[in-house]
Amino acid sequence: MTQPFLSIRGIRKTYGQVTAVKNVSLDVAQGEFMTFLGPSGSGKSTTLYILAGFQDPTDGDILLNGQSLLSTPSHKRNIGMVFQRYTLFPHLTVGENVAFPLRIRRVGQAEIAERVKKALKLVRLEGFEDRKPALMSGGQQQRVALARALVYNPPVLLMDEPLSALDKKLREEIQFEIRRIHQETGVTILYVTHDQEEALRLSDRIAVFSQGEIDQIGTGQELYANPATHFVAGFIGDSNFINAEVLSSADGKAKLALPGGTIIDGVPMHAGKTGGKSASLLLRPERLSLSSTQVASGLVVTINDITFLGNNIEVSTQTGNGESLSVRLPFGHEAISSISRGDKAWLSFEPKSTHAFA
Amino acid sequence: MVLSATTDGGERKIRRNGSFGYVVPALLLIAFFFIIPVLMLLMRSVLEPTPGLQNYRELLGSTTYLRVFLNTFTVAGLVTVVAVVIGFPVAWLLAIMPDKWSRLVMAIIVLSMWTNLLARTYAWMVLLQRTGVVNKMLINLGIIDKPLALVNNLVGVTIGMTYIMLPFVILPLIGILKSIDPAILRAAALCGANKRQCFTRVLLPLSLPGIASGALMVFVMSLGYYVTPALLGGTSNMMLAELVAQFVQSLVNWGMGGAAALVLLLVTMVLYAIQLKFLNPNRAR
Repeated sequence: MTQPFLSIRGIRKTYGQVTAVKNVSLDVAQGEFMTFLGPSGSGKSTTLYILAGFQDPTDGDILLNGQSLLSTPSHKRNIGMVFQRYTLFPHLTVGENVAFPLRIRRVGQAEIAERVKKALKLVRLEGFEDRKPALMSGGQQQRVALARALVYNPPVLLMDEPLSALDKKLREEIQFEIRRIHQETGVTILYVTHDQEEALRLSDRIAVFSQGEIDQIGTGQELYANPATHFVAGFIGDSNFINAEVLSSADGKAKLALPGGTIIDGVPMHAGKTGGKSASLLLRPERLSLSSTQVASGLVVTINDITFLGNNIEVSTQTGNGESLSVRLPFGHEAISSISRGDKAWLSFEPKSTHAFA
Repeated sequence: MVLSATTDGGERKIRRNGSFGYVVPALLLIAFFFIIPVLMLLMRSVLEPTPGLQNYRELLGSTTYLRVFLNTFTVAGLVTVVAVVIGFPVAWLLAIMPDKWSRLVMAIIVLSMWTNLLARTYAWMVLLQRTGVVNKMLINLGIIDKPLALVNNLVGVTIGMTYIMLPFVILPLIGILKSIDPAILRAAALCGANKRQCFTRVLLPLSLPGIASGALMVFVMSLGYYVTPALLGGTSNMMLAELVAQFVQSLVNWGMGGAAALVLLLVTMVLYAIQLKFLNPNRAR
């Protein structure tokens, strides 16, 4: 494959003094579900808006099948989009809304009727043609918006936090629908969200945005298991960070001294400022183990609280120099019966399950 | 919960009872100074000079008077169309402008409404007369050779009245336009609609309730307008209100004056009924 399907190249966007997008480059394969994940103001929505043609980049280019999109106005880009807010045309019925892009394209009446029916069937809203949008629930409206965005078979579908206005249960239901629709249609989707769970559930690959740049692109598993930056580690999955001192590092592995004197070796560490003396060590709560008796190369902590959460138990602990660490133990873990609030305990972990960031 | 609901209901009841007492003065005022005079006028229109409908027959039967009716509707229609056409872009601009600027422009519009009507109308006379600023400017720019006739005719009335009516189109439209989410227009653009299609297929239909209520307001107000047509219009395009004034003031014919006034009132009420039926704001959207 020499030419990527969709290629975002060195996009930069500034508003006066403010830089919204610093330098974003990214290739998307045909049929891929790519999610832009990041906190608000990280540049993910701006990048999507540039793709839609609502904003022009200060610098950079966007290529679809090798052709630059920048000189094409929004209405000629033939891109589909579902917005964060409800954007159905309130004066038109559901059927007319879905038919709108086809009417604009001067498709024949009979074909319009057939394609509208098919699109509504795809989002499981058959028979709602004559309903006005105002009489539908938020979830239904977003499904109609999805049908309207797909009815003209766009090569790319943009989704800008389409589920953020819905409640959690409905959100999960529609996430499932979106996955199914992606599989059925094979459309390339670029999806923006700040919800990591949503990103993990939906995407083939995730691009993590932070302060106008992409920190890392990868599958959910890659981002979780091998985060490239402190930010990605904190954003994907639950995380604890403690300060550590780098004793030596080579081949992406480091030897660290933890506060309290424990020394661990073989900690994955990303290249970068390896010369730095201090590093931040990522410990996933679910990868930690707790014991009431001393263990070799363990970390001494005090138990602050124990919370029962159904299938697991969350123990909040504190290290000798006041850093908080949360530990998630499976239900029935042997340590639970022998520890209680205020006790001393020993934390242990596999060095390869952790990660150091200089 | 139950207790608070009862209290709430009780309060509402009290307020409802009390509110009736407070509107009595206003109702009395309307009864004495509007309904009774109108009824008296109606009486005079069918009683003077002799009982019967001859006043109405004369009014609706004569071509001279019919021309006045026609002219009244023409002016009102023209003013309405022009006011909507040039008011819509202003309202759109005000709706999308940053608040700081829109407040300033709004202040200018409202300030013009508060300026004395006669002063504004005379100002237009000064501007539009043969030796006025507008004609002089056009001649100096070489666009025209001879001054255009801009006052004492339909053009003058339309210009003067459109200017006065403009706020009544702009103000209700701003509210409607502001309530339209810009994301809807973006969605339309991505659906393939160009700027013109976004306007005709989305923005215009969505702002129709605002356009209709503004237009009706302007049309109804224009039908009965007196000062501006009297000062800026010519004798050949007299409007209904001028006719009423002429009957009563110059000809001292209260019968005919009353008949003309009531025809005007009737037309206005019919239009109001249409508005209530089709443009009920509680039913809109």
